[in-house]
Amino acid sequence: MQMARRSSKSGAQIWLIFAVILIVAAFLGAIFIFPRDSNPYRTVPALEVSSYLDNANSLRGNVYRVEGEVVNSLAWSPASGRLIAVGVSEGKDILPVLVTNEFNQLNIQKGQKFIFLLEIDENGILKTKNLTKS
Amino acid sequence: MKRLLLSILICPVSFVLAQAPGSIEPAPAQSQPAAAPAQNSSQPAGGGSQSSFLGKDVPVLDPGSEIVTWDGRNWNINNNRMFEARFEKYLSAPESAAGSDLEYQKIILAIMDKMAPNRVTPASTDEAFQLLPKASEYEVDANLCDAIANQVYSSWLARRNKDRLASANKSLEDERKRLEWNAKMTAQSSPLEPGRSGGSNDAANAEAQKQAQLRRDMEMQPILTRLAEINGLLKANQLKSEVAELQVKIEFQALLVQLFLQRRFQHAVIGTRFYRSIFADGDSQLRVGDDARNLFSKTTGLPPTLGTIDSMANEIMRDVKEGVSAFKYLLEKKELESATKRLAETFLIGEYLPSVRTLSRDDKREALAFAQSTNKLISAIEVKDYALAETIVKELAESAKDFDSSKPMAAIETAKTVSAMHIAKARNAAVSGDRETLETELRSATEIWPRNPALATVSSQIFSQADVQGRALIDFDQLLGQKNYRQIFDDRMRFIAATAMHPEKQEQLREVLDRMASVEAAIIRSQEIEKRGDYAGAWESAERAFKENPDDNKLNQLRSDLTTKSADFVRALREAQSLESKNQAGSSLAWYLKAQKEYPPSEFARDGIQRLTKVILPDAS
Repeated sequence: MQMARRSSKSGAQIWLIFAVILIVAAFLGAIFIFPRDSNPYRTVPALEVSSYLDNANSLRGNVYRVEGEVVNSLAWSPASGRLIAVGVSEGKDILPVLVTNEFNQLNIQKGQKFIFLLEIDENGILKTKNLTKS
Repeated sequence: MKRLLLSILICPVSFVLAQAPGSIEPAPAQSQPAAAPAQNSSQPAGGGSQSSFLGKDVPVLDPGSEIVTWDGRNWNINNNRMFEARFEKYLSAPESAAGSDLEYQKIILAIMDKMAPNRVTPASTDEAFQLLPKASEYEVDANLCDAIANQVYSSWLARRNKDRLASANKSLEDERKRLEWNAKMTAQSSPLEPGRSGGSNDAANAEAQKQAQLRRDMEMQPILTRLAEINGLLKANQLKSEVAELQVKIEFQALLVQLFLQRRFQHAVIGTRFYRSIFADGDSQLRVGDDARNLFSKTTGLPPTLGTIDSMANEIMRDVKEGVSAFKYLLEKKELESATKRLAETFLIGEYLPSVRTLSRDDKREALAFAQSTNKLISAIEVKDYALAETIVKELAESAKDFDSSKPMAAIETAKTVSAMHIAKARNAAVSGDRETLETELRSATEIWPRNPALATVSSQIFSQADVQGRALIDFDQLLGQKNYRQIFDDRMRFIAATAMHPEKQEQLREVLDRMASVEAAIIRSQEIEKRGDYAGAWESAERAFKENPDDNKLNQLRSDLTTKSADFVRALREAQSLESKNQAGSSLAWYLKAQKEYPPSEFARDGIQRLTKVILPDAS
């Protein structure tokens, strides 16, 4: 009896451990399969910085996603917006981004990280179509 | 006074021999010895207005300046080529052979002694006469004793002929007396009878007296004729005797004057003594022409007589001995200038006297060396070789204690100074490009001192300088055209000198040097920054200067070196600039930002960012 009772107890423990492992694996798989939905422009292609540096004109009209950190504010025009320097590629490169005046109400400071939805205009300037803090 | 006369008289022997005859009263040609005068047929005898003593003017000596004036020419007795040559020959010649000269002098002195006024006798005269041919055997005598002997013999013959004439005259006188007696007797033996008066007898008496007169005249005629002849012969003989004696006297006097002028003073003394012994009539006046008479009277103040010649010859011989003695003393004291001058004067007077002829060769050699040096000095100054002249003056000053170098040195220094002044002016003219003045000054300097060593050096310097200057100007123009300012800067000293007289090029050079000064400053600044390890900053400094001076090699080299040391920064800037030039503001700005990240103090990056920011946001504040 004791033997039977002992075997049914260990079986329950095994099932419990298995269930925990399964739950953890499911959680991890969900994380893997369904990443966090903090990047709202995940469907937009990321800008190839090297291509942009080589020839921005060839990318005119395209929209890209760029995630980076504000390095510096270069200029500000109430009518046109703000021109900021954004460090990308882990700070290896710095891109000028024109944050148009529609985002004037947004505080943009040095060191902040943003995800930009950018369009390359006719002059090869990266203009923000949208942005969000990352 | 005597020296003055002698200096005048003792002109070179050749002149004397050639010209002397004109001074003597006409002497008939005869068998005269070698030294006998030769009549110049082209000139009137006796020396008229067309002929004067010794050719033309009588020579005159200024004792103060030692200048002899003769025949319109002047020369210094110590600086005459003919005399110099003769004097140097004498100084170089050995002394007269001691043996033969001594014997000769013994004979000469014996003749003079035998003919001395207080000892002369017919016997001593004969002995002296016999010694004359012996003396003539010696070369130094030049047969002058023979000439004297011949003249003495001629005089004796003349005297003997006079005796014969006197004897003939005595006979003629006797004959004249006899004829006069005969005439007297004839006249007394044929008296004219007085006529009777009255009637036809008067006519007969007159006729008789007439016939008696005729008869007496016929008897007297031969006697009177002969008497006239005898008287004529007597007068003729007297005249002949006087003329013959005068002729011989003149010949003898001519010989004596000639010997004196030839500076054969011993022979002149011997001749005068023979003359006096032959012509003991007390007539010692010299019958010479006006010029010769003036020569003696104006210099000695005495009329020309045998006594004048005799005393002067003796005085000269004494003076020559003193001169030789003075020479030896001065030589001993190493006062070569005075010694040589005294010997030259003594030689000029007493060339043939024994004290001069027997002077030792060693003593003469010292004077010769000095004379040669002084002659060289004169020649050097004449040809304006002042460097050589100065050397000789220094040598003379060392060898002769009494040598007065002030005059030659004054001449030398003056010439040198004037030449140096002309050369300095030539230099200035060369610097200022005044070619005409340059040539004039160089010519003047050359005329003053043709062998001036500085002349060649300065000339070559001036011309090479002109050449260098011209070449430098050409190089400057070429380098300026090539914008090779670095080369101009490196050779700036050369170009500064070359463009000194060209204001327009000077201005161009100044601009280049200012530009290069800034380049050099940039280079120095870059190098200093590089030393701190700030390669990008150093590159920026060099690049900034390079933009203004893209052709400077040194700057370019430094820039290249710094480019490799700050490659990432430079690449970022280059990309930025390249894209900016292509109006790709975004890409360009990205590169500028990258460059600024590499080198935050970068002015190029900052400027580029500002520029492009203005492009992107023209209204940005």
